[in-house]
Amino acid sequence: MLTDITIGQYFPAPSLLHRLDPRMKLILTVLWIAMVFVPKNWFGLLLAVAFLVLCIALSGLPGRLIFKSIRPILPLILFTSILNIFYVSGGRLLFSWWIFKVHTGGLITAAFIGIRIICLIIGSSLLTYTTSPTALTDALERLLSPLKVLHLQVHELAMMMTIALRFIPTLIEETDKIMSAQKARGADFESGGLMKRVKAMIPILIPLFVSAFRRAYELATAMECRCYQGGEGRTRMKQLHLARRDYLSLAVSLAVLALLIVMNILIDPVL
Amino acid sequence: MTVLQTENLCYTYSPGMPFEHTALHDISIGFEQGELTAIIGHTGSGKSTLVQHLNGLLKPASGRVLLNGEDIWADPKNIRNIRFRVGMVFQYPEHQLFEDTVEKDIAFGPRNMGLSEEEIDQRVKEAAEFVGLSASLLKKSPFDLSGGEKRRTAIAGVMAMRPEVLILDEPTAGLDPHGRDLILEQIDRYRRKNGTTVLLVSHSMEDVARIADKVLVMQHSRVAMYDTAPRVFDRAAELEEMGLSVPAVTRIFSQLADKGIADHDAVYTLEQAEQAAVALLKEKGVTVC
Ligand SMILES: Nc1ncnc2c1ncn2[C@@H]1O[C@H](COP(=O)(O)OP(=O)(O)OP(=O)(O)O)[C@@H](O)[C@H]1O
Ligand SMILES: [Mg+2]
Repeated sequence: MLTDITIGQYFPAPSLLHRLDPRMKLILTVLWIAMVFVPKNWFGLLLAVAFLVLCIALSGLPGRLIFKSIRPILPLILFTSILNIFYVSGGRLLFSWWIFKVHTGGLITAAFIGIRIICLIIGSSLLTYTTSPTALTDALERLLSPLKVLHLQVHELAMMMTIALRFIPTLIEETDKIMSAQKARGADFESGGLMKRVKAMIPILIPLFVSAFRRAYELATAMECRCYQGGEGRTRMKQLHLARRDYLSLAVSLAVLALLIVMNILIDPVL
Repeated sequence: MTVLQTENLCYTYSPGMPFEHTALHDISIGFEQGELTAIIGHTGSGKSTLVQHLNGLLKPASGRVLLNGEDIWADPKNIRNIRFRVGMVFQYPEHQLFEDTVEKDIAFGPRNMGLSEEEIDQRVKEAAEFVGLSASLLKKSPFDLSGGEKRRTAIAGVMAMRPEVLILDEPTAGLDPHGRDLILEQIDRYRRKNGTTVLLVSHSMEDVARIADKVLVMQHSRVAMYDTAPRVFDRAAELEEMGLSVPAVTRIFSQLADKGIADHDAVYTLEQAEQAAVALLKEKGVTVC
């Protein structure tokens, strides 16, 4: 079912990672991207992976969920890995057949990059799994608010994102319902050629658009009825405060990053 | 004869996820040919989940659904045929309309069945007549209709497939009293004419009392009661404990009975209430005109 999609979904749990300030989590995610790309040797990569495992453990999320986040992009990872195996030369020649040549360098690069991508995806899905969409956009708005001096409509942007994120599950549910209703009338989405399949989407897309527009109008009216008028002078119900755990997590992450840089200097790169 | 039957049906939403939810728990029931069964129950009790199993929109986690004694999932490729034989009208079915005319929208199901144009035409006319859509409406866009007319268009779209079993999930939700009466009346007339077995999910006890032969009460993903309507409403205390009610007139007469004023037997609809009240007043020597 469509509702099985978990990308960008929030899974509430009482863990340390869930309790961190969303602004800090955003910063930590940026730091994490650096941590994934800094290592140039196996020990560094191993340290990064260990750090990720620690974070997963601290998130209290089931392992199956973590795997689910990488499953959709697994084909992509395989594809890039295979390309790397054949394209990167260097190191010993392991075997060659027709135009295909496999070097040890290719294998190492493929493994290295594959692990990097997996780490990247898992790390960023930890952010969305442990942070509610509203908290996330709220944090984004705060972090971007200095850009207001450049006349960027930060609040409006964040509000648009909040609304979009808020309605993704609703639209998925709606699609599911409409699909069921049309299937009950014998609609067939699974068989036939490309043209037939595209045509089969019409009975879903039209009701979906109609309902999306209806929802948009209703929401706009409801917001106006409550005198919403943008970010000017707007106060917040939930105030964000940085706690000790936030500073601590930042310190640990910076330390790991520093260690990775030191390791790069001391150990020969494999790539 | 039992048309549709479930055997130890179980279903769980999002198994293995943090918000895993068992929506059906060991359901074994049978629906008799030509009967109208009302399915009632608190919100979230699993009514919609149950009916979506009956035409193969959801696949049981365990257990079977039998249509005329045959497992509907015996050949998964055949499931589309099952859906033509067990017609299903969803909650708020007007949200599924998409064609540019009412006529074409009603014809969507029959066309998917691969019928001839004449046959489709005839079925569309017949179904439209059943739900009281006039010929002039048939050429209009379904998006220009009123809420009640849209609802009836969607119901006609399923009736036009001439299913053996017709399932309706809260067909009267959000309609005014007149629109509600109209739709219920049309459903009742349709099934009497065609001998169709009907399942009707409903929250309105008044509706249920008026047209249902049998009542199925769901609670916490299980079947709590399944019996003829009078016998289910006789267990008013239990129903109220589940957060369900009995029809208002039933409550009045059972309280009159408690006070020793009337002996209540089977007062579920307004008509019965009227008769009983007139009889009671006559008994007390009041002339009623
Ligand atoms: N797609 C879904 N994913 C997860 N859980 C679901 C889904 N659909 C329904 N549920 C859950 O299953 C339970 C039964 O739902 P169902 O829709 O069958 O209830 P219902 O009896 O029809 O209620 P209502 O009277 O409100 O329509 C509910 O607790 C609901 O939260
Ligand atoms: Mg329901």
